[in-house]
Amino acid sequence: DSHVQYERVGADVTMKCGSMDWDAAVTWTANGTDIDDSHLNGSYLILKNVDLSQSGQYSCYEGSSWHLKYQTYLRVGTPPKEPVLMCRSNNYPKGFYCSWHLPTPTYIPNTFNISVIHGTKDMVCEKDAIPKNRCHIRYLQLFSTVKYKVTLTVTNALGKNFTTLTFDEFAIVKPDPPESVVAKPVPNNPRRLEVSWQNPSSWPDPESFPLKFFLRYRPLILDQWQHVELSDGTSHTITDAYAGKEYIIQVAAKDNDIGTWSDWSVAVHATPWTEEPKHLTTEAQITETTSASTSSFMAPPTTKICDKGAVVGSGAVAVCWTAGLVVAAYSVLFI
Amino acid sequence: MAAADSPSAALRRRDLCSRGIRLAGKMRADVVDLLDTYVEQQGLDASATVAAVEGVPLAAVERWDEQTGTQRLLENLAAYRAFRALLAQMLEEQREQLGEADAGLGRALAAVLLQVSAFAYHLEELLRLESRGIPGEEGDGPPPPPRLSLFEQKLRGLGVLRELAQWAVRSARDLRQLAKPSAATGTAPGLAESP
Repeated sequence: DSHVQYERVGADVTMKCGSMDWDAAVTWTANGTDIDDSHLNGSYLILKNVDLSQSGQYSCYEGSSWHLKYQTYLRVGTPPKEPVLMCRSNNYPKGFYCSWHLPTPTYIPNTFNISVIHGTKDMVCEKDAIPKNRCHIRYLQLFSTVKYKVTLTVTNALGKNFTTLTFDEFAIVKPDPPESVVAKPVPNNPRRLEVSWQNPSSWPDPESFPLKFFLRYRPLILDQWQHVELSDGTSHTITDAYAGKEYIIQVAAKDNDIGTWSDWSVAVHATPWTEEPKHLTTEAQITETTSASTSSFMAPPTTKICDKGAVVGSGAVAVCWTAGLVVAAYSVLFI
Repeated sequence: MAAADSPSAALRRRDLCSRGIRLAGKMRADVVDLLDTYVEQQGLDASATVAAVEGVPLAAVERWDEQTGTQRLLENLAAYRAFRALLAQMLEEQREQLGEADAGLGRALAAVLLQVSAFAYHLEELLRLESRGIPGEEGDGPPPPPRLSLFEQKLRGLGVLRELAQWAVRSARDLRQLAKPSAATGTAPGLAESP
């Protein structure tokens, strides 16, 4: 006989050699390796306080003939803990999906069963082929105040567990992040960056269900983000960028009326346009160049000490930026 | 129907729809705020489940995307007329129960009632634009309610406000459907059909 035997981590396991008597002479093997007699009680194999490494194929042979009398595959594992369940609508108003996972592995096979109830009506959550731990539901009704109740039960040979989520239609609406985010400098504008993006492709009808957007940006060398909320359109021009500084920019989306913000998009980097540096040969030319730099808001020579290569530490950056801010503010007066 | 399809009518429709969408958005925001106030001042549990109440128009709809424009306008109008009567009733009950002690809630209710009335009128304008007859109001009010206990009145009020908040979202969506550019050609989601 060959079968599978599931046991909990830490359990004591006794294996009988099929129908052999207790006092029969037998040899046990684990994955083809003989097991020491110290683990035997007569013909019974005793495994105390089993751990995961003891999973494997156990075979029992009659002493003299070496006939295989019994074989089992021992799977050591744990009963399932409460599963983690998440439901979300990233394609409103078509439907929503639920996905799940176990917080810790059980090391043995698990079966998941999901039920969805809307009021008194049972709904079918169709399992996705990929990933396996996901199913989706089409909305049969829209604008309902009746909540959805989703129960996920996980079962394995050692036990079962479940979790329940209750939510209303609007609460789980969360689009995917905007796509194809592009940021470009604006020629002859050292403080501007032009950002554009597209609606997430999973959002089925942006015309009827428009999205609004949240854009955040900061120079790489600063931690604080600037934020802009945009109620329509898929582009925005940043007009207060620090000249010559590389920026990191991200965008998030939300349905205009309901639900929550998407995750941030993939970050894009861009540096505002800067004037080509002029070749300096005489003092007169240096003076001329400095005046021209001020009128076009180009960072003055003092900004050079802010360049990455020259910065020694965070204190230097703070001083550096303070000087730059003072000059930038002064320059703005000459608009 | 020719008048309803003219370029000027299409522009007027889009203008009315845009303003209606803004009205619905403002109304929803105010209803959500009112809900918070109502729950707190009435001593209710915000997560309480309220069974469907007779006379309260449900925003829930099946095959919403298949509705014609006329259906959308008529269902919206019927709903907001019903809410107008329900909110007036709630306001009266508030005054009877609490008099001046709850003036803030009363004012908030009155403000929402005003918005609901304005929105109903807006919908009537849209229906007139489509050369649709405006349905009479006789059958739109809720039936005379059975005498409810104070607690039942409070729960009904909660149900009314929740459903109104849903309707405000639905109405914005409905108006966006109506405002779609294809509507100007008369081939759009259902404005060509007769009621």
